[in-house]
Amino acid sequence: MSIYLLQTINGIGIGMLYFLLAVGLSIVFGLLRFVNFAHGAFYLMGAYFCYQLTRWGWSFWWALLIAPLAVGAIGWLTEKLLLRHVYAKPHEFHILVTVGLALVVQELVILQWGPLGDSVATPELLQGVVMWGSFVYPKYRLFVIGFTAVLAVLLWWVLEGTRLGSAVRAGSESTEMVSLLGLNVFGIFSLVFALGAATAALAGVLAAPIRGAEPFMGIEALGVAFVIVVVGGLGSFSGALVGGILIGVVQSVMSTLWPEGARIMIYVAMAAVLLLRPHGLLGRKG
Amino acid sequence: MSRHSHLLLALAIVVAMPLFMHSGSLASEVLIYALAAMGCNLLLGYTGLLSFGQGIFFGLGSYTIALLLTRWPLPMPLALLAAIAMGAAGAAVVGWIAIRQRGTYFVMLTLAFAQMFYFIAYSLPGLTGGDNGLLDIPRPSLAIAGHTLWPLASPWQYYGFVAALFLVAFWLLRRVCDSVFGRTLLAVRDNEERAAAVGYDLRLLKLQAFVISGAVTGLAGALHAMMTGIAPLSNAEYHTSEMIIVMTVIGGTGNLLASVLGAAFYVLLGDWLSTLWPRWLLLLGVVLMVVSLGLQRGLWGLGESLWGLARRKRPAPPAPAAAPSANGGQA
Repeated sequence: MSIYLLQTINGIGIGMLYFLLAVGLSIVFGLLRFVNFAHGAFYLMGAYFCYQLTRWGWSFWWALLIAPLAVGAIGWLTEKLLLRHVYAKPHEFHILVTVGLALVVQELVILQWGPLGDSVATPELLQGVVMWGSFVYPKYRLFVIGFTAVLAVLLWWVLEGTRLGSAVRAGSESTEMVSLLGLNVFGIFSLVFALGAATAALAGVLAAPIRGAEPFMGIEALGVAFVIVVVGGLGSFSGALVGGILIGVVQSVMSTLWPEGARIMIYVAMAAVLLLRPHGLLGRKG
Repeated sequence: MSRHSHLLLALAIVVAMPLFMHSGSLASEVLIYALAAMGCNLLLGYTGLLSFGQGIFFGLGSYTIALLLTRWPLPMPLALLAAIAMGAAGAAVVGWIAIRQRGTYFVMLTLAFAQMFYFIAYSLPGLTGGDNGLLDIPRPSLAIAGHTLWPLASPWQYYGFVAALFLVAFWLLRRVCDSVFGRTLLAVRDNEERAAAVGYDLRLLKLQAFVISGAVTGLAGALHAMMTGIAPLSNAEYHTSEMIIVMTVIGGTGNLLASVLGAAFYVLLGDWLSTLWPRWLLLLGVVLMVVSLGLQRGLWGLGESLWGLARRKRPAPPAPAAAPSANGGQA
């Protein structure tokens, strides 16, 4: 029994990371109405920036701050210089331009750091495990759960409690209406895209000590993020949270029952949700 | 004009490649990926479906033929048919679920399925060889009742076989695109609501397009496995799906010959650049972005524009009499 409890808690830990990975994709879709295939590339950049900074002798904590800011800035520039010019084109081309971008980022990473991955050390403060009676749990994973929970609350506040948040929510209903009200829609687009990129990079930094950094983690993460937003419902903050935790727990529990099949099961879960609730658990229609 | 001229052009490409190229394997590769890109084009260019699941069908084709040729003493043409059938069956399953969603959800679903297929292939080493893939796939000659009709041992012999299948597939796909079914797909691509309002069963149409696309892609996967002698796990990866899409988009959508052009561009550029610079895919990413930004009809569209420009300029000075006849009825 306790192994399932442990795996469930593990799953929540993975799930919170998954939430962080998927929420940016979801918000960007909600506002800009297109799926960012380069989202995994931002996650990849986050992990590698963390790897590089820690190799230079900076602490993990600096990486946790700098990498998301840097990747957010890259995302901001990407939106301004690249994506802005495809909004008027058919939606396939929105996707294809980000597919091209993801390919460029992946190849640049291989060019800079080589095709093989490397591990990233867990910060000293968080090495070892917490013992609580018979319950043993790695400190770092506990930190990830707590940290992402705080971030989730913060993000929720930004979306629900600030002017930017209301503009974003209004924009995802109707961008025309928002611009008629005199708000600079393009400015909001850039900011939201930057925010999405930064959250993906943050997920990458947090994942790096757990799974290392390797060039093809981006596409893997993208596949998982798609599953989460399809399960939870695209464009929905709570959908990303519920979907992320659900998928994390499914993957974690399945990994004790059927280790080889754990990765397959999350896709099976997705197909099941989709057949029963086509718009996801918490998604809106249309 | 176009039906026969396109088939003739395809024939001309098939005949021309041995004259200009040194490697039969490379020429075969061009046609094999052209098949896969045409399958993708049927979905993207004719039906408006951007599918990241093409690698599934490609992988299914290559695994099927590898298993049949190495483990069962099945005649090669039957094994090839089985690979086509598996591609079609895989497309039917993926399509059945994915086309319940439209637009962005649909695209994400196809990618999720591609990832799922990859992990399934990875977790079943007994069937797929796992990480190593399936090795030592034979390339038996085309024979009927013991009489060898066409040996496939040398690369150029194999090219002849691939070329024949390519032309048949091209002809069939053109028939499909020119049929009432093909025209209906275009109506779906241009306006789904209108097509549905007129009374077409969108799901059935899309599923049929998917199955045809899967069959062609499965054939491509099988031919690729026979050419290289291996069915690697990488044939089932996201990268394969991406590659097929990139070829299709760079060539230009909505025109089958454009897919041949896209595949040739990708394969030949890759063959030339990969020895010079292993990270040549970076350039390809840039090309994909450029095409998405400003060249949405792909290389084919670029060629047409240039051709149109050249034709408009040329008749003026030397032969003014040619201009009205080119305009036909309008003059």
